Amino acid sequence: MEEMLKKIFYILTALCIPAGFFIKHEHAIFFWHKIPSIETVFGFFGAFLLILGTRILASFAQRKEDFYD
Amino acid sequence: MIKAVPPALIFILGAMLIPLLKGKLKQAYILLVPTVAFLDIIHLNQGTSWVYHFLGYELIFCKVDRLSLVVGYIFVIIGFLAILYCLHIKEDGQHIAAFLYVGSSLGVVFAGDYFSLFVFWEIMAVSSVFLVWYQKEKSALDAGFRYLIMHIIGGCCLLAGIIIYAVNTGSLAVTYMGTGLADTFILIGFGLNAAFIPMHTWLPDAYPEGTVTGSVFMSVYTTKTGVYVLARCFSGMPFLAYMGGIMTVYGVLFALLQNDARRLLSYHIVSQVGYMVAGVGVGTELGVNGGIAHVFNHILYKALLFMCMGSVIYMTGKRKLTELGGLAKYMPVTCLACIIASLSIAGAPGFNGYVSKGMVITAAAEKHMPILELMMVLAAVGTFLSFVKLCYFTFFAPNEEIKAKEAPVNMQLAMLLTAFLCVFIGVYPKVLFHVLPYNPVLYHPYTPSHIVGTIQLFMLAGLVFILAKDMVAPHRASILDFDYFYRMGGRCLVWVCVVPLSNFRFRLQVFSSRAVDLIVRLAKNPIMILEIPAAYAYLRITQGLRYVSGYSSAESYDENLYRRPIGVGVLVAITLLFALALIYFIF
Repeated sequence: MEEMLKKIFYILTALCIPAGFFIKHEHAIFFWHKIPSIETVFGFFGAFLLILGTRILASFAQRKEDFYD
Repeated sequence: MIKAVPPALIFILGAMLIPLLKGKLKQAYILLVPTVAFLDIIHLNQGTSWVYHFLGYELIFCKVDRLSLVVGYIFVIIGFLAILYCLHIKEDGQHIAAFLYVGSSLGVVFAGDYFSLFVFWEIMAVSSVFLVWYQKEKSALDAGFRYLIMHIIGGCCLLAGIIIYAVNTGSLAVTYMGTGLADTFILIGFGLNAAFIPMHTWLPDAYPEGTVTGSVFMSVYTTKTGVYVLARCFSGMPFLAYMGGIMTVYGVLFALLQNDARRLLSYHIVSQVGYMVAGVGVGTELGVNGGIAHVFNHILYKALLFMCMGSVIYMTGKRKLTELGGLAKYMPVTCLACIIASLSIAGAPGFNGYVSKGMVITAAAEKHMPILELMMVLAAVGTFLSFVKLCYFTFFAPNEEIKAKEAPVNMQLAMLLTAFLCVFIGVYPKVLFHVLPYNPVLYHPYTPSHIVGTIQLFMLAGLVFILAKDMVAPHRASILDFDYFYRMGGRCLVWVCVVPLSNFRFRLQVFSSRAVDLIVRLAKNPIMILEIPAAYAYLRITQGLRYVSGYSSAESYDENLYRRPIGVGVLVAITLLFALALIYFIF
């Protein structure tokens, strides 16, 4: 069940990437607004960047649960 | 026709009657109060009323405009839903604290002068801390004190700013502020409530420690009154825009590392309040409308999230994601409500967060603030990741050990009603646009590029979640925040008081006691002042001579050695009297 859901998710993700090429940004202001499907790049690299950020933060700010007790 | 009263008055006076009622009557009464308050707000006329003169200043308890009305509406609506959620609570104290908290927040919203604003501001801080203390655990007590200390410091800054402002201008009116000394102090006071970095630490510290129902109230009022006063007094300030941007990313980054479900939500308050502050900081009509629309929407979905996690904690007794999981089959209503709230906060199309978040991001872009726009997009990705994590590890992750029942009916009803409002505003945003400060609202949320762009953002972020699930998974650990410095500073202060200052106090006390003792002895017989050194010198000389001459036997005690004839005493008394008379006659 879980594997099937994952497969459906992968297919939908693959399908959503080209969808951006058929749609024009109504109100482009910055240059990235004109790049088709730029949100896929933001989504992927944004998530990657944040997870990287959390790992860096955890490397120096993570303590035991009862640190203050 | 009955004149509309300040809504704060209804809640604050309404709180007084709670202990007099019992059972079903009390339940009906506490639901009636917010209903009456809502009807009252509908009947408020725009302008100022309930004005009193005090020490040469005007106190305005009811300043009504579109900005105060929209915040007033949502405060009362969520007040009703939160009270419905805590209807089963038997302790009157919790209800009274909640009523005072809601009432004082409404007092801040409708205050037209800084004096009444400050008074309501402080009632808000003091009443809300009881919603933490009613948890009756040591951790809650400690967190409550830290919360109170922070808010008292913020209150002092606000008061200092208000005094400087009143002295400089001779007025107490709440108006648009600039960048002077008074304005800076007032901004710090407001900023502490709006959880500016690094003054935000009270929020993720106290909110997870509150009672199951109390945290629902807390998630709504304190930070949103902060945003409201910022919108009224500091809109269009670039500092606010970038502070908002920093808050969005900072909150998300810390939320992703949390294990305590309500601490995760608390960090998301910092992040979401960041959007509101950014909108207010951008300062355009769309920016302020977006910020206030986000206040409205955030109150709904964040209260719903705290309701859902409160239900989970109430029914399972567990609050850490590492201990939860698999609750979807036991608590389907809570699970459904939590998914709706999560989609709302993430900003999925069809839910209320999508509308207002889009407004703020578009406003930043239109004001040509590219870094701010990218920060907010990054935070939106993080919010989605974080709530996929929360829902998955609470409701879907395999956990065979956990067994639970669905929450009480009143809690379920409150969650479903709030969830309905989240979807309703998402699907039909015109109802919200109609009450925003600047009308008409020239923003169309459901454009093809916006919808597809948001779906793409979430699908790809979801893909990263699946690929890096182990890295996002919760761990049994705590993450140090800026409160580390405050706590260490506090400990240093305690050490300075206990060790060096206490030692100094002890030495001073010993010295003073000796000095007092000496003065008392000398006062009894003033002649001794001269005699003591003479006798001491005599003693030393004779001791020295005896030592030199080798004489060793101790001299026998002579009782008449220090006695003087009574005439000497009389002479001293007469001399003093003479001196006194002389002073009297001369002066």
